[in-house]
Amino acid sequence: MSTTRPAPDLARRNFLKGATLAGAATLASPTGVQAQLAHPNPRVTAMVRPDLVAETMPPSNDPVTQTSSGGDFMVDVLKTLNIDYCAINPASSFRGIQEAIINYGKNTKPELITCPHEEIAVSMAQGYAKMDGRPMAVLAHGTVGLQHAAMGLYNAFCDRVPVYLMIGNIVDAEKRMPGVEWAHSAIDPAALVRDFVKWDDQPASLQHFAESAVRAYKIATTPPMAPVLLSLDAELQENPIIDPESLHIPKLAQVALPQGDPSAVDEAARLLVGAQNPVILCDRVVRTPAGFDRIIELAETLQCAVIDLGGRMNFPSRHPLNQSFRRPAVIGQADLIFGIELNDYYGAVHGFSDRIIRHTSPMFRPNVRTISLGVRDLYTKSNYQEFQRYADVDLAIAGDGEATLPALIEAVKHRVDAGRAAAYEARGRALAAAQVAMVEAAKSEATIGWDASPITTARLCAELWAQIRHEDWSLVGNGIRMLWPQRLWDFDASYRWNGFSGGAGVGYNAPASAGAALANKKHGRLSVSIQGDGDMMFAPGTLWTAAHHHIPILYIMHNNRAYHQEYMYVQAMANRHARGINNAHIGTTLTDPNIDFATVAKGFGVYGQGPITDPNDLRPALERAIAVVKRGEPALVDVVTEPR
Amino acid sequence: MARLVEIVAGVMALAVVGLGPRANAQTQPTPSGNAAHGRELYLATGCFECHGRNGQGGAFNGPAPALAHTEMGFEAFKEQLRQPANDMPAYAAAVMSDQDVADVLAFVHALPGPRSPADIAIFKD
Repeated sequence: MSTTRPAPDLARRNFLKGATLAGAATLASPTGVQAQLAHPNPRVTAMVRPDLVAETMPPSNDPVTQTSSGGDFMVDVLKTLNIDYCAINPASSFRGIQEAIINYGKNTKPELITCPHEEIAVSMAQGYAKMDGRPMAVLAHGTVGLQHAAMGLYNAFCDRVPVYLMIGNIVDAEKRMPGVEWAHSAIDPAALVRDFVKWDDQPASLQHFAESAVRAYKIATTPPMAPVLLSLDAELQENPIIDPESLHIPKLAQVALPQGDPSAVDEAARLLVGAQNPVILCDRVVRTPAGFDRIIELAETLQCAVIDLGGRMNFPSRHPLNQSFRRPAVIGQADLIFGIELNDYYGAVHGFSDRIIRHTSPMFRPNVRTISLGVRDLYTKSNYQEFQRYADVDLAIAGDGEATLPALIEAVKHRVDAGRAAAYEARGRALAAAQVAMVEAAKSEATIGWDASPITTARLCAELWAQIRHEDWSLVGNGIRMLWPQRLWDFDASYRWNGFSGGAGVGYNAPASAGAALANKKHGRLSVSIQGDGDMMFAPGTLWTAAHHHIPILYIMHNNRAYHQEYMYVQAMANRHARGINNAHIGTTLTDPNIDFATVAKGFGVYGQGPITDPNDLRPALERAIAVVKRGEPALVDVVTEPR
Repeated sequence: MARLVEIVAGVMALAVVGLGPRANAQTQPTPSGNAAHGRELYLATGCFECHGRNGQGGAFNGPAPALAHTEMGFEAFKEQLRQPANDMPAYAAAVMSDQDVADVLAFVHALPGPRSPADIAIFKD
């Protein structure tokens, strides 16, 4: 039995040469020496000492160089997919393709992004894909790397974001190095995450890889989008190519996106045009600037309320028809609710009471008509319950929201006559007045505690807005929910906001923000992320990646020194029992010692300031940090804030 | 099922208890509040966790309204504490007495309310 990996220049997958290969390996290896020493011929045994054998044996058929590899071909395939970046934490199981990317592929398309954790790699890819519109690749170790990556994958899946994940594996047990390589190999490594990837494969040949690689990209980027996984056998990556002429890279056809059925779209238009108070709810609709414009066009045609749930940057925050912060009132008045790409239709139109007896209550009137448009109905898995409660709507249109909007807008415009248009104008004026009042109320509320320390989140956001508003800014992460930025800032383009995590897995915000900032880099945008302290503690190594790869991003720490949502939950439980909250800090706070995030940042090579406790120190700190970011580097300002 | 019955019974009992103070409210004098003690309670009992140290408001499962310069009177304020209308944690009398409630209310009434945004340079344009 040979326990060595065979000679690289011999085609290990060519079973016709297997006998030759086995002989060569035996001659070259210590085990082979031992075998020879055990030769039954006593004369040979007497003549050969083990150390002498190694030095004096004639040259073996055990080449040490090669001129081609499967990894090179894999790079050729990846280059056809136009993938700019590949985030990795280096690992032996994909050393073949890694070497091919950096040398054969000259580290471009994809360029490797070094990450100190696989969850960082996947979350960066999630943030990148939403901002750029194209997926980013990730390479991870099989088994252990994939286990680290799993949380990020789940977020991306729940968020319906494509991530092009490849892992290394050593399929052939005979070729595994004793020890670690066994622990790092699996029969079916994708089984771990199959509940939350859209498709996976483990190609058995290079041609198989080529087709699966293109197929994976196509599947990942066809709505509903989601991560895909390819398990790459190490032998396949490393071995020479046997028959290069036989290999063919299939072309990546542009997929025509699924649109809603025309008759259903026309019916939706009829209902929208005839409604007295229609409201549009949108969540994960906008993928492109065109999608952003289309929602505006639809809303302005109807002069109806729009509620942006924030899964993507769907609708301008200061648009007169934006009623996002009046959701219960607007839905309560609506006679038609039109939900586009809602992650949770039911939850969007119901209130939920988190009391001893949990219950829901509708926000809407009993006779309201409801329409859904989106890809939710095209794809659902069973185990993880991220599909939410059943959307009990009157008309469900299965199709991509953004792709269906042009037909819907055309159908709506076709039905709107002059008489309706006049009525719509009156409706729009009332909504505009309500929007203005909402903004003014937000400004007024933001002044409460203006000079207080800890610094209010409103003051933080107002000061930040003052510094970025004249820049080409992009809020790539937000650890304080849709509170002050969306109330105070003017989000007027599709890249101003990048949505939420999807699965609410903590540890998303820091790396996903860095990924989005990487996508923004080529546009020269000023990327800003409001960063929770608890989230940062899951993936602080993100800061090193941002420094190493010169990713310009400004992290503003919303440092409330707690896992504050959980603190409040514990408080709620304690109050149920009338036990007081004296112990609610146990297990929920990040104090004693307080975390000095500016020093943490500096340790990773990132410009850091803070902790800022005096609100009057905010503006100069932000100015200095933004100057660093505008030079192309990351910066972090640690701000000690109110809990919310 | 037994647990459900137990919970329903418990909630019903709470509702009955909740009616008691309302029934007596007309005959009970409103306690005068001590704002300084109210501030201590506001921090110690965790009001600030959702509503902010300055009563500026915040969020729990949903929005937590601003309390600075609240227009709520004692009875309405106490009712919200004892039987919250939303997901706000309930504050039973064992945790916060009626006098404590009055003190907290005095504190939030004493908090500086919003300033005019026009007085703050950031909000001028």
